[in-house]
Amino acid sequence: MSASREIIRLENLEKTYFKKSLAVPVLKGINLSIYEGEFNGIMGTSGSGKTTMLNILGLLDVPTGGKYYLDGDEVEHFSDDHLAGLRNRKIGYIFQSFNLSPNLTIGQNIEVPMIYGEIPKRDRVKRAKELAESVGLGHRLNHRPTELSGGECQRTAIARALANKPAYLLADEPTGNLDEKTGEEIMRLFHDLHEQQKVTIVMVTHNPELETQFNRVIRLRDGRVVSGND
Amino acid sequence: MLLRDLYTLSMHNLFLHKIRSFLTSLGIIFGVGSVISMLAISGGAKKEALAQIDAMGIDKIIVYSKAKEQSNTSSSSSTSVLDYGLNYSDQNNILKMENIKRVTTARRLRTPITKGLETLDIELFWVSLHFQEDVNCDVIKGRWLTPSDFENSSTVCVIGRNVKRKIFGLGEKEIVGKTITVGKSNLKVVGVIENKADTKLEGINNLNDSIFIPSTTGVSIFTEYEMIGSISSATIHHVENDLFIVKVDDLEVIDHTAKRISAFMGRAHKTKDWGISVPLNLLRKKEATQNIFTIVMGSIAGISLIVGGIGIMNIMLANVYERRKEIGTRRAIGARKRDILYQFLIETVFLTILGGLLGIGLGIGIAAAITHFSGMPSEVSVISIVGSMAISGIVGIVFGTYPAWKAANENPIKALKAE
Ligand SMILES: Nc1ncnc2c1ncn2[C@@H]1O[C@H](COP(=O)(O)OP(=O)(O)OP(=O)(O)O)[C@@H](O)[C@H]1O
Ligand SMILES: [Mg+2]
Repeated sequence: MSASREIIRLENLEKTYFKKSLAVPVLKGINLSIYEGEFNGIMGTSGSGKTTMLNILGLLDVPTGGKYYLDGDEVEHFSDDHLAGLRNRKIGYIFQSFNLSPNLTIGQNIEVPMIYGEIPKRDRVKRAKELAESVGLGHRLNHRPTELSGGECQRTAIARALANKPAYLLADEPTGNLDEKTGEEIMRLFHDLHEQQKVTIVMVTHNPELETQFNRVIRLRDGRVVSGND
Repeated sequence: MLLRDLYTLSMHNLFLHKIRSFLTSLGIIFGVGSVISMLAISGGAKKEALAQIDAMGIDKIIVYSKAKEQSNTSSSSSTSVLDYGLNYSDQNNILKMENIKRVTTARRLRTPITKGLETLDIELFWVSLHFQEDVNCDVIKGRWLTPSDFENSSTVCVIGRNVKRKIFGLGEKEIVGKTITVGKSNLKVVGVIENKADTKLEGINNLNDSIFIPSTTGVSIFTEYEMIGSISSATIHHVENDLFIVKVDDLEVIDHTAKRISAFMGRAHKTKDWGISVPLNLLRKKEATQNIFTIVMGSIAGISLIVGGIGIMNIMLANVYERRKEIGTRRAIGARKRDILYQFLIETVFLTILGGLLGIGLGIGIAAAITHFSGMPSEVSVISIVGSMAISGIVGIVFGTYPAWKAANENPIKALKAE
């Protein structure tokens, strides 16, 4: 894998929550690199800090120590607006509970990141349609999320995450709310994206059966990476 | 970001909760509604007052006769003489005062005008030369009375617009040159006048229903002593003049002049058989009450706008709380703080402007209803509509900023965890 370009490097990354005067260290010095084209899993017991790490990778949260390099740049000093721009263009976020806007149609939901990216309306609509088709929802463009099954909602969310052609996808237990069969379908979609479009994916999961499907499994225990950092 | 895009991102929520949005806007709706109707009514009242002034001119003082209830020292017979009202010496004395340009007079014939056995709804006045000018009537046919009519005491008359129909019916085409008989006198019609403003003067019903003859003619063919009532218990009224329209030179001191006339009349008349009014003061009084009305209604409107604004702020805060997950998600997929701020702010402003629009409709309705049921005139001005829209928008911005700011500053991680 070292032939590929390094997108993300974490150096001795720490995250400590402070509850009043009580310090709760969650990430205690993470060293990790993620390379272009990888499909990585993050695994670990509940409370081991997977979501915390994903939020930091997704530029939603800031570490309390160590360094985070994105494409070689230290993100610590980026402004709020710059971070929002990076989340918009470089990162595609996928949630366990889909997080679609119930009042918008499937097409509009896919358009949302492109609106924030200031893509012209015509291009937006066209791309939303293509994306919906690529996840098998071309016929559902004008429906609303409440009219769709869980699997279809997650496909919509994946299409939305891909809208601005991000450098990598971050997914926090994307199959956690789905039944086994639907979960498998969603995993297949991720594999398709990975293989055909060379999308870089970092996925948090609890499901040990998926372990074999990743290029690399980053295992967290007690706030440290116990295996998978190269 | 374009407004259209913001619309896509947020507005659906308002339409999703139509009833809630409507209830939320009620304060604004009523606030704007009362602003619009209040301004419409005070605007209408002002216009009406101005129209009255327009008809009369503001440089006039009106002095008029008031009929006495009973005779003073009644004679032994059953017939008593009522002697009251403005007289020639009053006129001469007023004319001698400062700041008086002229005094126009009118004397009403108290004997009813009949056509066969029927009493007509018409009055006759003998008036001075400038009467038509001073009550702002237009000559629509023929001419007004001339100085030579006065010199010769000609038996001519000028009639109000409605008189022709009342005497001759609808059939008659040409009225000028015809003769009208009043009592035993024949009067040749020389002109028709019209009073567009329908001005009401003290003691005169409607100028359009009246016949006017030169004062000199009046004195010679009628008498200042008129017998009113049945033969057995008749009262003789002796009145020299019913109305003085006093035109002043300098408007600045019109109040002063009116006071002096008042003082003089008080001295000259033992009883209060006269009255005085200054149209300009009527306007001022009307304006003063209007201002109080405007302040009271304005406060009510202001309070309901503030209460409405607070209601909207409340709902928007609840809205922000309910939609934390949406806020977190949007931040995760690239919304800047200000994108979230604008989204919620535009939603609030849209809500208040929509409320404002409904309020304008309500206000126009209220004004129309008041005019319909009470006859109070109203006029909805463009400025009040534009102003109301602006106020609605401002209320939205003022009361929407805090909830929007709160939304923008939600911690995205915590917001995402919200259910
Ligand atoms: N805001 C916070 N304040 C204090 N402690 C927190 C906060 N957020 C998370 N934690 C703690 O950090 C630890 C890691 O949380 P995290 O959500 O990352 O776990 P996780 O690995 O994703 O677990 P799960 O598999 O259950 O989703 C937990 O012990 C949690 O209690
Ligand atoms: Mg988690």
